[in-house]
Amino acid sequence: MDRVKESVKRLKAAFGDRVALRDHGHYVRLEGSLRVWEDVVRAGSIAAKALKKRKSVVNAIVCEELPAPKPQEPAVRDLVLDNTRPDVLIIGGGVVGCAIARELSRYKLDILLAEKEYDVALHASSRNDGMVHPGIDLRRGSLKHTYNHLGNRMYDDLCRELGVPFNRCGQYLCFPGRRWLPALYGSLVYWAWQGLRGVKVLRKKALRQAEPALDPKLTSALFFPSAGSVCPYGMTIALAENAAENGAKISLNTVVEGMEVSGGVIQSVATNRGTLRPKVVVNAAGVYSDEVAAYANDQFFSIHPRRGTNALLDSKVSDSLTNSIVASYGMSETKTTHSKGGGIVRTAEGNILVGPDAVETPEKEDFSTTRISIENVFAKHRRTVPALSERAVITYFTGVRAPTYEEDFIIQTGISTRNIVHAAGIQSPGLTAAPAIAKEIARLVTSYLREQSGAAVPANESFNPVRKPIVKTAHLPDHEREGLIQKNPDYGVIVCRCEEVSAGEVRDALRRPVPCATADGVKRRVRPGMGRCQGGFCSPLVARIIASETGLPLESVMKSAEGSAVVVGGVKEVLP
Amino acid sequence: MISSHYDVAVIGGGPAGMAAALAAREAGSKVILIEREARLGGVLKQCVHDGFGLLRFGERLTGPEYAYRYETLVRNTDITVATGSFVTRIGQDGGAFTAALVSRDGLRAVTAKSVVLATGCRERTAKQIGIHGTRPAGILTAGTAQYYVNILGKLPGKRCLVLGSGDIGLIMARRLTLEGASVLGVYEAKPTPGGLTRNVAQCLDDYDIPLYTSSTVTRVFGRNRLEAVEVSAVDAAMRPVPGTETVVECDCLLLSVGLIPENELAEKLGVPLGAGGGPVSDHNCMTLADGVFSCGNALHVSDLADYVSESAALAGARAASYRPGKRTLVFLQPDERFQIVSPQAIDGSRLTDDPVFFFRSATEKGRTTVRAELDGKVILEKRYSQLRPPEMERFSLPAGQLALTASSKLTLRMEDAV
Repeated sequence: MDRVKESVKRLKAAFGDRVALRDHGHYVRLEGSLRVWEDVVRAGSIAAKALKKRKSVVNAIVCEELPAPKPQEPAVRDLVLDNTRPDVLIIGGGVVGCAIARELSRYKLDILLAEKEYDVALHASSRNDGMVHPGIDLRRGSLKHTYNHLGNRMYDDLCRELGVPFNRCGQYLCFPGRRWLPALYGSLVYWAWQGLRGVKVLRKKALRQAEPALDPKLTSALFFPSAGSVCPYGMTIALAENAAENGAKISLNTVVEGMEVSGGVIQSVATNRGTLRPKVVVNAAGVYSDEVAAYANDQFFSIHPRRGTNALLDSKVSDSLTNSIVASYGMSETKTTHSKGGGIVRTAEGNILVGPDAVETPEKEDFSTTRISIENVFAKHRRTVPALSERAVITYFTGVRAPTYEEDFIIQTGISTRNIVHAAGIQSPGLTAAPAIAKEIARLVTSYLREQSGAAVPANESFNPVRKPIVKTAHLPDHEREGLIQKNPDYGVIVCRCEEVSAGEVRDALRRPVPCATADGVKRRVRPGMGRCQGGFCSPLVARIIASETGLPLESVMKSAEGSAVVVGGVKEVLP
Repeated sequence: MISSHYDVAVIGGGPAGMAAALAAREAGSKVILIEREARLGGVLKQCVHDGFGLLRFGERLTGPEYAYRYETLVRNTDITVATGSFVTRIGQDGGAFTAALVSRDGLRAVTAKSVVLATGCRERTAKQIGIHGTRPAGILTAGTAQYYVNILGKLPGKRCLVLGSGDIGLIMARRLTLEGASVLGVYEAKPTPGGLTRNVAQCLDDYDIPLYTSSTVTRVFGRNRLEAVEVSAVDAAMRPVPGTETVVECDCLLLSVGLIPENELAEKLGVPLGAGGGPVSDHNCMTLADGVFSCGNALHVSDLADYVSESAALAGARAASYRPGKRTLVFLQPDERFQIVSPQAIDGSRLTDDPVFFFRSATEKGRTTVRAELDGKVILEKRYSQLRPPEMERFSLPAGQLALTASSKLTLRMEDAV
């Protein structure tokens, strides 16, 4: 069957003449205009489904109701990067971009990573549930499946090298009733074929013993031992720091604004910090990866942002909920179409995360939360663990996933443009897959450079995969903690009572290879303000330490990006 | 690790902890007072308004003055004062309690025969009351704002809106006005203000700051700094009414939406907590864990520092005289008209003076009689001209009439008085 004709037919049936499809060879481009965003997404999905991945979909349909929002751009504009000629420019400081930077730092290369935000990991990489997925629902043959499996296996060693806490706790997928048991036993062959090792079936008693808080109706389960949890931004920061320690340059507050392309080659890249001339560009721009591809004259896919909200619960209630990761199947009579997965996750720090939901949105950076999302998330997961209560909520947050209409990763060299490598469409399980994606991207980058120069890219002889993490003094044995305090008394001054963080650790966070001298940057590195009081006691203390470390007045200390000052001035200042 | 031994360890050096330590010392105990911050005084250090000390000292004092009076009393004794010391571990070893303290000097161990928890309270946060939207700078609890203004001399915003009419919120509305910010209004989800009547008059009315009851903040806007909030009317069940949303431009949202007793250490000691968040305790302020006492805002949130010191002095004295032994606990059974009664029980085995109880009514009431009955016999009838949930009231029961056994039934009722 002609897949293009089929998509045209289906689009016509759904939207009449309002949508047009143009065939561009390896992709199709949808044009026209539709009133609501749901329809714009539906058109893209209809086309992708009919095309069965023979061609990909670029969705350029205009949404009449909501004009495309402009990306948030950094306030700074200077020329610090002007006329620089890095070997590799990585666009995007999420977990994928940072993993690529670290992987490439194994080579003798001039690497520049440009991140438009004030810190790494500020989009999807800090706004997810931190699950290292076993890959239960991934189709064999998809890139998601391939890289999830490869990435999952890399996690133990990688986290050991980077000093990132990782908890390979396993995941229980629970089912209501004994009647599921034959199917579950039968599924073991399937899991083995999928490449999942050690999957077990649990009956009522064993399940109850492992996870006592589950709904009593859930009496059978599959256990996937390869599931785990990791702090996703902790991981990203660690990758960035190790890359920086090995010579990569991380340039924050740096946004790509355009590219000059000729002869199928990116000649220069314009940013708010000047124009660069990289030999090769890596597109790891998350929700903006389609726009970066368009700058490079190489857009053959579109991102349709999908929001997901998670809630974080007080570690006090963790033991009464789950020791690992739990989710259930078949408990819902009213399964909503938007809600596709998620679970109840015990984080590597010992809290509980619940979520996420899934809602299509035209806004790539709308991280706001809504009451309805939280209510849905709790209603859904209470079917697995009835004791789950909104009363224990410490905070909640929204992330925006970056799926393509093909709903698979894009990991390849450009099609029309030769010196770009895409790591795009990376949504869940992107955190799990990131280390493996980075290996492949590094291979593609180095082979491009070898083709260009005719010589293999030399190894970075001084590459050190081991990163020294910031010491968490509260976790040290007494004699080591005592020793640290004797050397530096700041380690004995506790500023955050909920998470027991010392002034010394806050100062450490400001002296790292990728520093971020903001309240939230410190919070993501050493956790003051992460606990139940949400910074009520410690936020002024942390702000003062930042002021003293940076030499800035308190008015110049930001919570997050430029323009987010924690205080606006002195008391009794005359107002304008 | 250096280890030192005490009769009583008091944890928390605010108005409760200092009073408890003094009382324990007066009773002849060897006492250590442990404080996390560099100075004694707790939150009083930042409460520069007056109104403290009327009951305790017979004068109107500011918070720092009240704290300084107590600190002077403490410094004039041989109480060991460990400031800048954080309790990183606490537990029970045989008959004694052990705590590990971390400070600039390193780690040290303390053992004590009894423990008084005077750990105060913390403020409820935006996320705990379900505020949604973005996460900009400029949203903070009233107490944090008070720290910025009164301790650091900095303004957290120029156009401020206060959510919640608790006392700190009212006091900060006035403070910010005096310090040069404009306060656009105080919003309260309940139909009546949450703070003391005198604070509504002195902090809002005197400064023409409007109070909007039955309305709340439903959403916040702004990516970096707060830019605006959406306020909505709420129905009788305190749920926002759709269609009533209005957007108010502001750069600062202060939250005064409730205080939660801090009992992380109590939980580490296995102390059961009551509905109000404080430990379930008897009239001697002893929790259900023998030898562990609780007082001040960690026990129940009070509206006056004087009350805090008073209950704490009792806890300190009882901690000093504590000897292990069986308790005969009889729990008070209040009716639903009481929001909270604290402490919750009487220990019939250790009854010397008339036990004192604090309570809040669940709703605003006019003339009311509180009646206590022991096994059907009325042992107290006390009249109140009015009762309001924000104002804590008290009564004591006659020890002479409290012949308690394990099966005694002690009920508390509120009745409209004519």
